[in-house]
Amino acid sequence: MRRSDLGEFEEIVLLAVAALAPGAYSVSIAEELENETGQTVSTGAVHAALQRLEQKGYLTSYLGEATQERGGRRKRLFTVTTYGGKILHEARSVRNSLWNRIAPAELSKMGLDFSNS
Amino acid sequence: MQPLPPRWLDKLATRICAPHLREELLGDLHERYALRHRRAGAPKANFFFLREVAALLRPSIMRRKPAPYGSPSVFSRDMLRNYFKIGSRVLLKNSSYSLIHLTGLSIGLWACMMVATVVIDSLSYDRQWSRKDDIYRIVTKSRMGTDISERSSSSPLGLAPELQKSYPEVESWSTLDAHEQHFKIRPGDGEGVNTNLLTADTSINKILDLKLLAGNFKHSTQSQWSLLVTRSYAAKIFPGQDPIGKIIHDIPTFSSEPTPYQITGLIEDLPYNSHLRAEAIRFRTTKPEALSNTGFMTFARNYILLKPGTDIGAFTRKVNSWYTQFMNNNGREQFEFQPLKDIYLHSDFAEGQNVKASIRTIYIFAGVALLLLFIACVNFVNLSTAKAFARVKEAGVRKVLSGSRTQLVVQLLTETLLLFGFSIVVAIIAYFFTLNSVENFLGNRLILTFTSNIVMAGGALMMFLLTALLTGLYPAWVISGFKPANTLRGIFTASLGQTGLRKTLVVAQFSISIIVLLATIVVWQQFDLMKNKELGYDKRDLIGIEQISWNGKGEAFKNELQRIPGVIRSSLSIWMPTKGGGYMQREVDDPAHAGRRLRVWYIGGDVDLPATLGLKLVKGRMFSNRFADALNADSLREKDFVKFEKAQMNQNSLITASAAKMLGIKQLDVQTKNANSVPVGVVGDFHNESLYEPMKPTLILAQKAPEYAGMLIRIQPGTEMQVAAGIRKLWKQFFPEKLLRINNVEEQLTKQYEAESKLHQLFLFFSGLTMFLSALGIFGLVVQAAEQRAKEVGIRKVLGASVAGIVGLISKDFVKLVVIAIVVASPLAWYALQKWLENYPYRTTIHWWLFAATGIAALVVTIGTVSFQAIRAATADPVRSLRNE
Repeated sequence: MRRSDLGEFEEIVLLAVAALAPGAYSVSIAEELENETGQTVSTGAVHAALQRLEQKGYLTSYLGEATQERGGRRKRLFTVTTYGGKILHEARSVRNSLWNRIAPAELSKMGLDFSNS
Repeated sequence: MQPLPPRWLDKLATRICAPHLREELLGDLHERYALRHRRAGAPKANFFFLREVAALLRPSIMRRKPAPYGSPSVFSRDMLRNYFKIGSRVLLKNSSYSLIHLTGLSIGLWACMMVATVVIDSLSYDRQWSRKDDIYRIVTKSRMGTDISERSSSSPLGLAPELQKSYPEVESWSTLDAHEQHFKIRPGDGEGVNTNLLTADTSINKILDLKLLAGNFKHSTQSQWSLLVTRSYAAKIFPGQDPIGKIIHDIPTFSSEPTPYQITGLIEDLPYNSHLRAEAIRFRTTKPEALSNTGFMTFARNYILLKPGTDIGAFTRKVNSWYTQFMNNNGREQFEFQPLKDIYLHSDFAEGQNVKASIRTIYIFAGVALLLLFIACVNFVNLSTAKAFARVKEAGVRKVLSGSRTQLVVQLLTETLLLFGFSIVVAIIAYFFTLNSVENFLGNRLILTFTSNIVMAGGALMMFLLTALLTGLYPAWVISGFKPANTLRGIFTASLGQTGLRKTLVVAQFSISIIVLLATIVVWQQFDLMKNKELGYDKRDLIGIEQISWNGKGEAFKNELQRIPGVIRSSLSIWMPTKGGGYMQREVDDPAHAGRRLRVWYIGGDVDLPATLGLKLVKGRMFSNRFADALNADSLREKDFVKFEKAQMNQNSLITASAAKMLGIKQLDVQTKNANSVPVGVVGDFHNESLYEPMKPTLILAQKAPEYAGMLIRIQPGTEMQVAAGIRKLWKQFFPEKLLRINNVEEQLTKQYEAESKLHQLFLFFSGLTMFLSALGIFGLVVQAAEQRAKEVGIRKVLGASVAGIVGLISKDFVKLVVIAIVVASPLAWYALQKWLENYPYRTTIHWWLFAATGIAALVVTIGTVSFQAIRAATADPVRSLRNE
């Protein structure tokens, strides 16, 4: 599997696109990430990540409508492609399988004992 | 109201963001700004916006998207070929323009190359010696008054050895006197071989790098001159033979017998570009006399070699303070050490140094040539920008078809380069073929030329390319700068706004031409004045025989000479009109200015001298055989010098009118202290020196048949050839061994002003060229103007304008410019020429009509050039210009 193809930030952006569909564009994604992480996320960074993801074929985009706040400029809306979905799924299954393989005793040592809750 | 981010940040963001991303990204930024503004207020929103803009600085956002149909690279092979193809087509199509350009540029480049050669060659003198930085010539500076001093290139003969003794800095020294000598190689040779000879000491090979090919640098033991000959000279006098050990004889001038010279060494040729240009070097036979602070001293040109790194300023001060103490004469004579490298160009004061040039002339030369090149380039710029009108449509179409501005500039530069390239070729050919005549004009060979030195040629080519680029850049920039949308619609609002610059350039061009023209006239006037000024004696029909020793037969020769038909009067004279101011100088106190000293010249000859010269008597009487006017100077001097001096003090003398005034002599026939003699008559002023010198007080003393003397012969007009032949025949009888040098005094006098004559010829040539180039430039402009205004002229004609009116209309602009140029140039020229004339004690006046005349000349040239084209435009059939469109 090509882990290097999907950076951490890219993965989060890709997930956010999936979560916000069908209204996913730079602003909504950046705002969402800010809400989720509590850190400032710049539009430029998100835009760059979106561009990369689109180049890799995980996303497609189309131009949406213009609004007044945007000064009459149109927004670019993104949707996850099947290929993107597959990549996301792969990333998730890798994590899941690794999570599942952690022994309960080790989990409790890390303070991550879920069995009690 | 929609909140908006700060304008400048918004603009900055637009700048950073690539155009194809601007729509979405800037929209995003604005939307988020609005969101934040609503949530947190303006300050926070602004702060975040700043961060957002900073975050745009990433390659993926900044990188511009390449155009889908990219134009080929500016310097691709296809494009290069295209530039040349289009360029040559354009040049061929406008062949008359190209010819104007070509002529102008070729002349400019040629003149520039020529002058650069002369300048570089002059600067190359004496740079080839390995110790060039350590060799100095001792220059004597004699103080004549509180702030007047005279410099001389010779110094006491004993000084240099004395310096070597007392100062460790001095490594070596030698005298180096240059003169000409005729050598008889074989006994039968008549005229002998004229040889440039240096007199040196044997230490010379330590100072200059002389490459010995055979023989040695030592004196031969016999008491005769030892001679070093150069390779080419040896080949000339002894072709194919070993010259070492051979003995040749000089043709004597002063001694009674020919002197033998033994050739002791063969050396490599001395460099031509050195002021020590010579074919042979002879070694002095005598040791130099010791320096003494009393009595007489012999002077010679002394050169010293200092240790490397000697501080010459400190050394000069040391030597001078020692010398002042030694001579105990309050520092009347001081010494300077002239670096070897400066001698060629900075030796105006050095009398008797034949190989020299004046740095002033070099400056004038260079200045005028640069101006010429400037005019040529101005022509180019002017015509090209004027031509811009015809090219803008082409430029517009090119731009519409996605040609970049760089491509256009390169295209136009290629045309410039093509033109320059052709001009360079023409200039080089002209250069190659005129080099010889320029050498003749200068009177010396040019060693470093562009056709002989590859480094110089390369440098010149680079310079020319640079000039071409700089010249071509401006028109190219102007033409390529028009907006295609405007030019294609035919809007030229700002397109011809460059006329201001063009007008300025035309004015500059004509100002230069007018200044050079004025200079030509004034230099000619000055030369004419010096050539034709009344000298106080009759210089016409006067023949001179140069100084020799007469072997006691002077009087007899003179008597025989008198019998030659055509000879009116003759005189043995120890002063010749072009050979210095006299045979002796005395310094006396200036009666008018206390503390100053005057130099009084003494001229001598037999009693017939004043009459032969044709001096006019003002008061008293002339010399005559009836009185004891003439002193038997030679024999007296030999017997007892003190007695001779005493006799001279009581000798009768003639005195010039101005000398009488300057020395305050009112009474004749009494011994006068300032005259150091007894003045018996006052004669009219005459110039005993060249007109570069102001007239100095002069006295004439008579001697009985002086042994070392020349002869002046007054002849009847038109008998010169016949008399000269008679003299030659007589000479054969009297002095078969001796060299006879006859010359026409008037010609010799004129020859003194060769520098002015050459300067005049140079200016004449340059003024012709500048005028021609300026006229060429204006011609191009008027052709352009007539073309541009063809429609206007057509309409005017249809509405009944006269031909004269239209000619006036077109000519007016140009005439106005030339009038401005006249106004600008006249005062500048007046100032510069006045400064130049200040160098001359006798100078021509610059009359007002000179300016009027040159102004009219410039106007005539302009009107002539302009009206030729203007009349053509005015007489053209209006139908032809109005028919199309």
